[in-house]
Amino acid sequence: MITLLKNGKVYDPAHGKNGVKQDIYIRDGHIIAKPSKTERIHETIDLKDKVVMAGAIDMHSHIGGGKVNIARMMLPEYQETLNYSEPEAHICTPNCSHNATPSTTDAGMRYIEMGYTAAFEPAILPINARQAHLEMGDTPMIDKGGYAMLGNDDYFLRLLAGKANQKTINDYVAWTLHATQTIGIKVVNPGGISAFKFNQRRLDLDENNTYYQVNPRQILKSLSRAVHDLGIAKPLHVHCNNLGAAGNFQTTLDTMGASDGIAMHLTHIQFHSYGKEGDKKFSSAAAEISEAINNNKHITADVGQILFGQTVTASGDNMMQHLNANHANPKKSVIMDIECDGGCGVVPFKYRDENYVNALQWAIGLEIFLSVEDPWRVFLTTDHPNGAPFTSYPHLIRLLMDKSFRDEAFSRLNLDAQAMSNLTAIDREYSLYEIATMTRAGASKLIGLNDRGHLGTGAGADITIYSEQADKEAMFSKPDYVFKDGELVVKNGEVVKVVWGKTHTTKPDYDHGVEKGLRDYFNQYHTVQLDNFKISDDEMAADGRNSIVTHTKPCAKPPINR
Amino acid sequence: MALNQTKSLVLATCPACGMLCDDINANDAPTSTCEKSIAFFTQNAVKSTPRIAGKQVNLSEAIAKVTAILKPAKQVLLAGLSTDLAGFRSAYQLADKTNAALAHMNATTTWRNLKVLQSTGWQTTTLTEVKNRADVIVCIGTDVVKHNPRFFERIVWPKKAMFVKNEGRDVIYLGGKGLDTSHGVSPKGKRPTVLPCDPIKLPEVTAALHALVAGKTLNTKQVAGITIKDLVAIAERLKQAKYAVLIWIAKDLDFPHAELTIQQITQTVVTLNETTRAGALAMGGSDGDTTVNYAHTWLSGLAIDQEVLPEHDALIWVNSFSPEKTVPDTGTPTVVIGNPNMKFDNEPDVFIPIATPGLDCAGTMIRVDSNVILPLKQVRETQLPTLAEVFLQVEAAL
Repeated sequence: MITLLKNGKVYDPAHGKNGVKQDIYIRDGHIIAKPSKTERIHETIDLKDKVVMAGAIDMHSHIGGGKVNIARMMLPEYQETLNYSEPEAHICTPNCSHNATPSTTDAGMRYIEMGYTAAFEPAILPINARQAHLEMGDTPMIDKGGYAMLGNDDYFLRLLAGKANQKTINDYVAWTLHATQTIGIKVVNPGGISAFKFNQRRLDLDENNTYYQVNPRQILKSLSRAVHDLGIAKPLHVHCNNLGAAGNFQTTLDTMGASDGIAMHLTHIQFHSYGKEGDKKFSSAAAEISEAINNNKHITADVGQILFGQTVTASGDNMMQHLNANHANPKKSVIMDIECDGGCGVVPFKYRDENYVNALQWAIGLEIFLSVEDPWRVFLTTDHPNGAPFTSYPHLIRLLMDKSFRDEAFSRLNLDAQAMSNLTAIDREYSLYEIATMTRAGASKLIGLNDRGHLGTGAGADITIYSEQADKEAMFSKPDYVFKDGELVVKNGEVVKVVWGKTHTTKPDYDHGVEKGLRDYFNQYHTVQLDNFKISDDEMAADGRNSIVTHTKPCAKPPINR
Repeated sequence: MALNQTKSLVLATCPACGMLCDDINANDAPTSTCEKSIAFFTQNAVKSTPRIAGKQVNLSEAIAKVTAILKPAKQVLLAGLSTDLAGFRSAYQLADKTNAALAHMNATTTWRNLKVLQSTGWQTTTLTEVKNRADVIVCIGTDVVKHNPRFFERIVWPKKAMFVKNEGRDVIYLGGKGLDTSHGVSPKGKRPTVLPCDPIKLPEVTAALHALVAGKTLNTKQVAGITIKDLVAIAERLKQAKYAVLIWIAKDLDFPHAELTIQQITQTVVTLNETTRAGALAMGGSDGDTTVNYAHTWLSGLAIDQEVLPEHDALIWVNSFSPEKTVPDTGTPTVVIGNPNMKFDNEPDVFIPIATPGLDCAGTMIRVDSNVILPLKQVRETQLPTLAEVFLQVEAAL
């Protein structure tokens, strides 16, 4: 059966197409070349003047796993915010649910209604990977995947402290990707979560974890090298040390140099771009950070934009979240040490535009978006739910595409914060092509999803179609059509068919001899069997809905003219 | 090459308590130190068939009767819910379809903890951290072993730990009566500190300990029969500890507003963490209570209902793991789906025996300290259907 999407205006940055009028043919879930005249077209949808993009990909969103579920459990009041209207700079739309702790069903439905067809859980604690996949398995409509957290686990730190060679580290990293069914590796506050268990309260890039006598720079170097050597497409996903601390931008700049030029992705960089100038000792370092991203081609970043309203921050960084718990609103939090593997901190937050720090955080995120020149190296995230629920993406897109709208929102901010930001001096407005780059082609290339994020022949037919509107928030809130793997699943912003996505993984080759040391470690120190730590392919598919896509080789050179 | 093709002995995971020990050699006669585990793995594989009012029927007749009960009902209740993840997912789906309420048999004790989580939150730790780091372990109002028999064997006195030696650990029992404190003796014979009191006095004792840890002085010589001198000594030991762990079991804190006592414990941990490191740890768990609550939370956005038996006019009672537990008599049409060894004083309208996860079929469960999710293995053959298979047939028949 062939479906023809006719006459659309195609924005497909992977193929350099910027609003080109083009027909798209779909068969068996994939985009195909124009069929021969003898083949029958079963269905034709006329998309005259409609904007056609690949399905959007959220490369960093906390949608499954222990800390997200703790947030749900701790915050029953959030389920009552569905029709909550916010009198602050956040201008609401009916689609903006404000729900920072959606159920798995809600998460899938809200994503697909906005034209997102994939989301990646960026913080899978290996011991908790099974739960993360179970939750994502219960998330309908979209494709999923995750990044496994290493660098604070005692097994890795023992290897590093014992001066294990790089090959051993590489094998352990590869083994972890297999065991946890993930597609990338993340490090959170490198060494800091472990240091907190030894009662250290902060850890700078060149400061030692007192027990292991290794520092974050060594951890970053070792893990980024492993990811590189194994040929994994997704660069090491780095949540820098000193999250949220005034003056932390220097740590962030120094972190960019820690990998000796090997690719790294610095995540939710807005939270790591703070100076300590001014009366309040809190200022924007967006200019320094953006310039460094522009100059360091091995660095990519997602922003982690904050938007005003009630949300919850859920992070593996229990060291810094323990400090942040003093600002919890409502006043409650969960801080956990977990299984000699990592930790977590769940702290509810209410970002307010009349608050100096919050207002400046908002401006800093936008300054970075608008000052990083290359949309292939910066990604649209709110670090859901940490900066704001992902349902606020259409609002964020409008802030990027519409200077007058942005300036109007800015004018409502805390006045001291306005005085400390140069946001209104930035005239840039993102184009549809740049939005498509950030949210589709760039994200797909970054993660190494060969057949997603573009509309070329052979791509999975994840396609979103919008009516072009002056109000970009309205436009991106409610696509006309969304196709998932070739099936029409959303019509006029409403789900018309429920489907279950796939899980994207990568499984690099490695020396299975690495398991001997791991087995000894598990037998002596752990409380579960090594074999139960690992998640098999069969287990992933046991619910009868999920299936695994393994991206065995990194994306070859991007099929892209830049 | 796939990872899980090792030739090593397949060890079973035991769902008999919240600890989910996954080192059980269930192939031979189980030789565990844990009686609960032995009882679980040696339970009779009785040949059991469905019954309607005590009369043997086949499964499709039983399903037909279940649907006849459900169809006219205005408010179905799916309760008990002693099951694993797959079982609960199927219950959730059936509840969704029939607009039924869901409730777990352990809701009362689960909510003693959840009220604290939803009020102030907490700072917690998990079993592997305790095994490798804890230098002071305080069991409050419980001996733990009544619920988790292998806690001391596996977690407190391991052969090896990364950051602490067994003889460097101090075990303290604070409050409770008639506890079995023998497990608190170290392998080399170091005895635990035992300060008993009537459990009903634990609110005062925990409040006093919290005050002392926070640096306050108390103008009294004793609290609930425990001298202030002894309590001060515990407070000081906690403040000096590198990694203290404060343990309770909600089921053992069986008095009104036990959540306030739990909160005193968790806030003591929060205070300790201002200067040193400490973790709170809720132990216990049974009948898949953690699993059901967690899965309910991610599927619906909210924790499981607070009530064990909310209002209803038809009851489906699920009990996979505890055949000795009785079915509540609510005077409404009752379907029991559960362990084939269940016995009834009053035969329910329908009884459907099912495979027990971790014994007759594979499954998945969440450990009591959260975060650790373990596969349950099938260790013997059965003809019995799983709960999910039964519920799917009910759904299809409705």
